[in-house]
Amino acid sequence: MFVSIVSYGLAVGAVYALIGITYNVMFSASRVFSFTAGMLGMLGGVLGALFINKMGMNAVLAFMLVLACGAAMGIVTEILTVRPVLKSIEQHLYVLSTLAFALMIQQVTAIEYNTEPQPFPVLFPIDPNSWLGIVDQKFWLPVLACIVTILGLEFLYRRTLIGRAFLAIAEDSYAARALGLPETRLRMASYAIAGVIGALAGFTGAQMLLAFIGNQAILNFYGFVPVALGGMGSNRGAVIGGIALGLFQQAANFLVGGIFASVAVFAVFIVVLLLRPEGLAGAATARRV
Amino acid sequence: MPISRRQVLAGSAVSAAALASGFPAPAIAQNEPIKIGYLPALTGPSSSTGVGINRGVQLGIEEINNSGGVNGRKLELISRDTQSDPTKAVNAVAELTQRAKVSMIFGPVNSGEALAATPLIARDKVPMMHPCWVDELIDVKKYPMAYRIAPTNTQVGAGANYYVVDVLKLKKVAVISDTTGYGTASVNTYVPMLKTKGAEVVYQNHIDAANPDLKPEMLRMQAAGAQAIMPWSVNAGFLSRICNTRGAMGWDVPIVGQTTLGSGQTKALLEKPEYWNKVYSNNFRQVCYANGKLPARAQEFVERLKKSKIEMGDTLLWWIALGWDSAQMMANVFKAAGTKNDDIVAYMNKVKDWPGVYGTVTWTPEQHNGFPDSEVVMCEVNSLKDGAFNLAPGYSA
Repeated sequence: MFVSIVSYGLAVGAVYALIGITYNVMFSASRVFSFTAGMLGMLGGVLGALFINKMGMNAVLAFMLVLACGAAMGIVTEILTVRPVLKSIEQHLYVLSTLAFALMIQQVTAIEYNTEPQPFPVLFPIDPNSWLGIVDQKFWLPVLACIVTILGLEFLYRRTLIGRAFLAIAEDSYAARALGLPETRLRMASYAIAGVIGALAGFTGAQMLLAFIGNQAILNFYGFVPVALGGMGSNRGAVIGGIALGLFQQAANFLVGGIFASVAVFAVFIVVLLLRPEGLAGAATARRV
Repeated sequence: MPISRRQVLAGSAVSAAALASGFPAPAIAQNEPIKIGYLPALTGPSSSTGVGINRGVQLGIEEINNSGGVNGRKLELISRDTQSDPTKAVNAVAELTQRAKVSMIFGPVNSGEALAATPLIARDKVPMMHPCWVDELIDVKKYPMAYRIAPTNTQVGAGANYYVVDVLKLKKVAVISDTTGYGTASVNTYVPMLKTKGAEVVYQNHIDAANPDLKPEMLRMQAAGAQAIMPWSVNAGFLSRICNTRGAMGWDVPIVGQTTLGSGQTKALLEKPEYWNKVYSNNFRQVCYANGKLPARAQEFVERLKKSKIEMGDTLLWWIALGWDSAQMMANVFKAAGTKNDDIVAYMNKVKDWPGVYGTVTWTPEQHNGFPDSEVVMCEVNSLKDGAFNLAPGYSA
């Protein structure tokens, strides 16, 4: 039981964490909470299955292509659904524009691909009886993707000039623009990175979650929970929140089971937000009076 | 030359007199095609059934028309794709009953659409026949012109319960479903039926179908001493996870339940082909192989399908047979009773042991559910050949 809770919990938690980071990367660049994160995750799985299973592509090529599609989808999201509503951000029109775009893509996927869950191929032909096969790749792949993403983002934000420019935009976009930083292009690049991370989450988690349009709603919601728990914009909080959510959800599956497992997750979510509305890792914002 | 109002009135009077004196207009109506309203779901999320049924309906109508039609009149299908959407079905009903004035409606072919469409068809007093399973769709008081040419959900559940308790002789059963309306309603209906049969339901739960790991649930069933798992869901992802988890646990209990257990979508999601062993899904005796042979009517039908080059590899024989039977049944009704709604109902109320390929149909004035209990059986899901399955082990041939 313990092994099952840890393996499934960490794997699902890593997928939630990656979707949480996707939300955060888009939020940091634009102050927009884009509900396309779940769609990117869904597309990662669906496109992967389409490229490998249906079109017979090599897994590496398919992986690169899925990430490229994720990046392209991120850029399209920025241009079509975020940029037009940025001027009136206080009206929260982005909720409608991003959600509508995500639903549209989901419907197109349903019509053009399939409404039923489809199998996702085993990416590495590892003998399950060898020492390498002790932990199934469907469990360690998302965890590995999560670690690589965190390290990659840390390197980008802390060690590269462009990463610092991203942080400057996130910190104060007016000041950054005054200093001559190309805000629009940096925002587009941020959305492209978010697209890559979302697609990576979907691709690496698809052996477990299958290639299914229904994953969009699940990832949109369960990816949002770690962001809310960890504090908006905090990637560290999203990772801790995501892993904690995965482990807790799996433990609840074992201990209470059925639909009560979901109820337990929501109950904890509400209690945490009541106790710490700014999130576990977020800082309480001071209000100027 | 200008036409005066007086001339127009005079002309109308002459025309009216000509009509009243026996102008031979009715002869035209006698050769007009008989219109049948048809509401298949050919696209959308629940269309796989509709696509299969449609092949049978089209073949049946084509054969009837090629052999001269019904009493010299052709059958004309006025088909409206419901797109698996109840709203579209409702709109199509208004068009078919009020504008096209059809003599009878076949469909909708999915329960969700039928629940929305049936009251409207009943209101417009058009006879209807459908293959949907939800019990409430047939009610001789509310819908006196509605007939079912398929089993009810209760019959389907009873068939599975009979197999577990009476054929496999297993008494401790786990009954689970997803959290959809269909799943929860099925469990709530079938559990008391199982208990009445003397079975002990040792585990019962509704499970979120999106949950990627069903091991906790399966361990609980195992700990409770379940000897058979009965899942009620149409979600291929959920059903395949049950088969995969049972296989990975090395737990050798039968899985007995809904037809989707045997669908190609479920098969595609299995981690190993052998995880489909000892899985039994609902099916129908007349279209199942017993000792490697189909019943004579079904065998003859398969030959007919092959001759007409009807594709069977991507659908199920019972869906095509059901469509073909429905076309034949409607032709029989029109031949014997004509196209007046009261005459159609009077005839259909007396149909007894009508030998369809899919099933034997009997209706009475009090009972518009036409399918016999004895023809609802279970089949071995890993035995698919030409769209049909082997009878599950334990049935007499």
